[in-house]
Amino acid sequence: MLVHLQGAWNPWLGRLTLSQIPYHSPIVLGAFAFALLAAAPIVGLMTYYQKWGYLIREWITTLDHKKIGVMYIIIGLVMLLRGFIDGIMIRTQQLLADGPRSAAHLQAVHGYLPPFHFDQIYSSHGTIMIIFAVTVVLTGFQNIIVPLQIGARDMAFPYLNAVSLWLTAAGAALVMISLFIGDFSHAGWVGIVPLTELPYSPGVGVDYWDWALQLSSLGTTLGALNLITTIIMMRAPGMRWFRMPFFTWATLSTQTIGLTAFPVLGVALALLSCDRYLGTHFYTAGLGGNLMLYTDLFWIWGHPEVYFIILPAWGIMSEVIPTFSEKALFGYTVMVAATLSIAGLSWAVWLHHFFTMGAGPGVNLVFSVSTMLVGIPTGVKVFNWSLTLYRGRLRFETPMLWAIGALFLLLVGGLTGMMLAIPAINYTVHNSVFVVAHFHTMFLVSVFGIFAGLMYWFPKVFGFRLDERSGRRFFTFFSLGTVFVFAAMYTLGLMGMTRRLDYLYNPHWQALLIIQEFGIFLYCVSVFYFCKMIYVSIRDRAKEAHGQDVWRTSRTLEWMTLTPVPFYNFAVIPVVHGRDAWAMRRDSGLTATSPGDYEDINLPNNTIVPAMLGALAFGFGFGMVWRIWWLAGLSLLGIIGLVILRSFADDRGFTLTAATVRRMERNHEDTGIVTDHISPPVAELALFQ
Amino acid sequence: MRADIIAAVKQGMIAIVQLRHRADFMRRRCGWLRLLPLALLASLSGCSGHQLRLLHPDGPIAATSLRLSVIDVLIMLCIILPTGIFVAISLWRFRAARKARYDPGFTHSVRLEVLMWGVPFAAVAALAYFSWRGVFLVNPYAPTALGQRKSLLAMPDRPGTGNPLVIDVVATDWQWLFIYPDQHIATLNTLSLPAGRNIEFRLTATDVVNDFYIPQLIGMIDVMPGMRTKDMMRADRPGVWQGFSADISGAGFSWMQFPTRVMTHAGFAAWVAKTQVAPRHLDYAGFRSIARPTIDLRGVTRNFSAVQPHLFSRIVHAAVKGATDTTPMFLTEHMRRDLARRAPYLSGYPHS
Repeated sequence: MLVHLQGAWNPWLGRLTLSQIPYHSPIVLGAFAFALLAAAPIVGLMTYYQKWGYLIREWITTLDHKKIGVMYIIIGLVMLLRGFIDGIMIRTQQLLADGPRSAAHLQAVHGYLPPFHFDQIYSSHGTIMIIFAVTVVLTGFQNIIVPLQIGARDMAFPYLNAVSLWLTAAGAALVMISLFIGDFSHAGWVGIVPLTELPYSPGVGVDYWDWALQLSSLGTTLGALNLITTIIMMRAPGMRWFRMPFFTWATLSTQTIGLTAFPVLGVALALLSCDRYLGTHFYTAGLGGNLMLYTDLFWIWGHPEVYFIILPAWGIMSEVIPTFSEKALFGYTVMVAATLSIAGLSWAVWLHHFFTMGAGPGVNLVFSVSTMLVGIPTGVKVFNWSLTLYRGRLRFETPMLWAIGALFLLLVGGLTGMMLAIPAINYTVHNSVFVVAHFHTMFLVSVFGIFAGLMYWFPKVFGFRLDERSGRRFFTFFSLGTVFVFAAMYTLGLMGMTRRLDYLYNPHWQALLIIQEFGIFLYCVSVFYFCKMIYVSIRDRAKEAHGQDVWRTSRTLEWMTLTPVPFYNFAVIPVVHGRDAWAMRRDSGLTATSPGDYEDINLPNNTIVPAMLGALAFGFGFGMVWRIWWLAGLSLLGIIGLVILRSFADDRGFTLTAATVRRMERNHEDTGIVTDHISPPVAELALFQ
Repeated sequence: MRADIIAAVKQGMIAIVQLRHRADFMRRRCGWLRLLPLALLASLSGCSGHQLRLLHPDGPIAATSLRLSVIDVLIMLCIILPTGIFVAISLWRFRAARKARYDPGFTHSVRLEVLMWGVPFAAVAALAYFSWRGVFLVNPYAPTALGQRKSLLAMPDRPGTGNPLVIDVVATDWQWLFIYPDQHIATLNTLSLPAGRNIEFRLTATDVVNDFYIPQLIGMIDVMPGMRTKDMMRADRPGVWQGFSADISGAGFSWMQFPTRVMTHAGFAAWVAKTQVAPRHLDYAGFRSIARPTIDLRGVTRNFSAVQPHLFSRIVHAAVKGATDTTPMFLTEHMRRDLARRAPYLSGYPHS
């Protein structure tokens, strides 16, 4: 061992002991019971209906970009719920721990959470919401929609796509398991150094955070590579650059950011790991280290990550608003230019996250101005969306409601963002809840975009619409919750309340904290309506089933496929003759025609290898966190061996003959059912036959 | 053009100042407004008094920040309000049921596109001008706002008198030590200042990063181990304000407040004289025991006299050479049954 560790260590279990299971903490026990309650019916039903084989054959081993996307979105939504529960706990603690006379429960000095627990909750809230909820759901959308929008049968690298998914899942699993075995980081989602160094975080919490981020960032980098290649190489004939749907442009910009920024995070965290495992001094205060180095590296990733999250949401808005305005997107070319320039500027603004770190006026000014420059293309986007509405024929179905909500939130976020960009103002609100309210406003633009996308594309993927009635209530309560929580939070920021306080010393904040809590209650109601919406929609799926183009005014190529989309996407790859290809076909009355000739389709076999890589990555992460060297070593060897082994596999995929495709498509025309239960075989099963 | 803009901004600010006066009047006359269920609006209108601390600066630095905020918001509202109204009207006017003019061909307009790039560009140019002014006015190393008389951006008050008072600020895990090197005194978890005199803070930390912040007086500045930052300010009038750490630094972070007492010149001189005969002395060894991780639950304050010279530099150099006050496992995220062991590290914990 190269570093001094507090506490016991042994070669077999590393730092892991039975006392690391927090069975005496009533809150963690409650969480455990909740997780069991949520999992039990799912496991029970799966077993009762004997669906485990189906799950493995059709989902765990799949290389189909749509199924992978759906799994991304499910992981993301589960993590969104977990992050939301963390958020409730944070604000409830602050409400209960306001003022020196506030009561104490459960070993806390004020409120019900001691700082040793509270700090973990806000750290996991941030980490989960940013890395494992919003990022993951948006990646899911890009996975599903981009190949469909550009008229491709799959991603450029379907196998790599599955590897990305399972690496992300391994990271998410590490965060989740930290709840029940050991602790999570207490140093915020940004992992401020030197607080995350071993002398100040001697436990395993920071290691959990570190490896979870490492794994998911690797997955995201590979995903970015895949999506960029797909967009460049896999476009249908005639799909020139400026005929691409706008969401595809947004994805291209997003993933360019992802490909360039995520490796920086990997490096920043690798150096931190060196400090924590090897005893180096990259970020320590003394002995030659420099903590500013970490802050720079982290935000060189961290700020592009912000646009990694917001650009796809703006892409979704740019698909939804034209569809429900029955008009093409206003100023398409300008929108593309704006998106690309935002992506470019995202690399040049990172220092505005630490104007207070003592940089001179010259440096601060440069980054202040570059930050404000982002406001120009963003403003252009807002103007273009509003002009798309102008002289349209607006229908306010649920996706449109979410998109409009996002538009208004963006106005508020822009106003406060411009304040923060000016150092002289930033000094007074940096690290205050004003900043927290600002970036939540911006993340909520993303979240509103996500729900717009969910309502908009759900029918395409699953073949039935989401229930409109409960969907509207979901929107209403969610929006009201947003107004109450964040109006109060902005005001608290102006009252001088800062972030991450376990105990609030000022009893005058009580009224606004109550308003905040009321807003959170409204969010809870909205979660109820979300669940109701899913339940009602599945129950009435026969009634809500529909054909290719559920909204009747959609414009892009994904709506040309059958519904639900067959696993080969397009029976015949379409030829594109202009922008908004599907709208063009509809306007020329070409929607009902079916191709005369079908062709053989070659598709990849399913394979269990990516899921195994994910499991091994989880084993590696878990071994490193607890310093169980044999587990980490064996897992790493397993990963390397498996990758080499797979490279020898002569897997040429399987071929769907033209006759089968014809039968399936004709069958759909007659009965409305797409497949006759043909799906790609699992490659490894061939070994046993 | 520039004069016009400045005049417009001035008008806006005068209006806002008047609104604030009115709010003060309301606060005096209508305490019952507190009872309204719309506590949110009530607090925004100033009915909960000076609790909106960022809108009630008591020193030139904080005042300059507020003025820039007002200017920024006014400029941004010039764009955001019309846009919001335009969107709202469009949503109403062009809803399908109303059968208003429908023009699917309206998807491009060079004139509008020039406008939509030009307007934000102009706004950013204006804001960049104010950012440039502001960055020097409140530059932590040499804020020009302290030297100015009445102007648009700087607070109209008297310039500071005499040499700046130097105070060395040390953030430990998790307490504040303020050293007055020229007076050879120090205070723990409380800060005393004279009104009307420029104050120069030199800041460092022993272990992890904190932010030094007194909302009505001075913006945030990072306090970092092994490094020194600087910040300058002046308080306009005597009074008591709450200072605190604004950057997460571990378990004791939530209790890192320090009351800031601003006194008259004479009052401050008397306080210094009194503190110079305080029974407690402070040398480097004594400091290391203060720097041991302590959660200041009770708000313990101490005064020290006969402070060892160059204590601040010694602390910085020790950090550079690798001095650390290791946090015990049970004072971090680790939540196991160590309450009894924690007690000695908690000042005023019920069980201790």
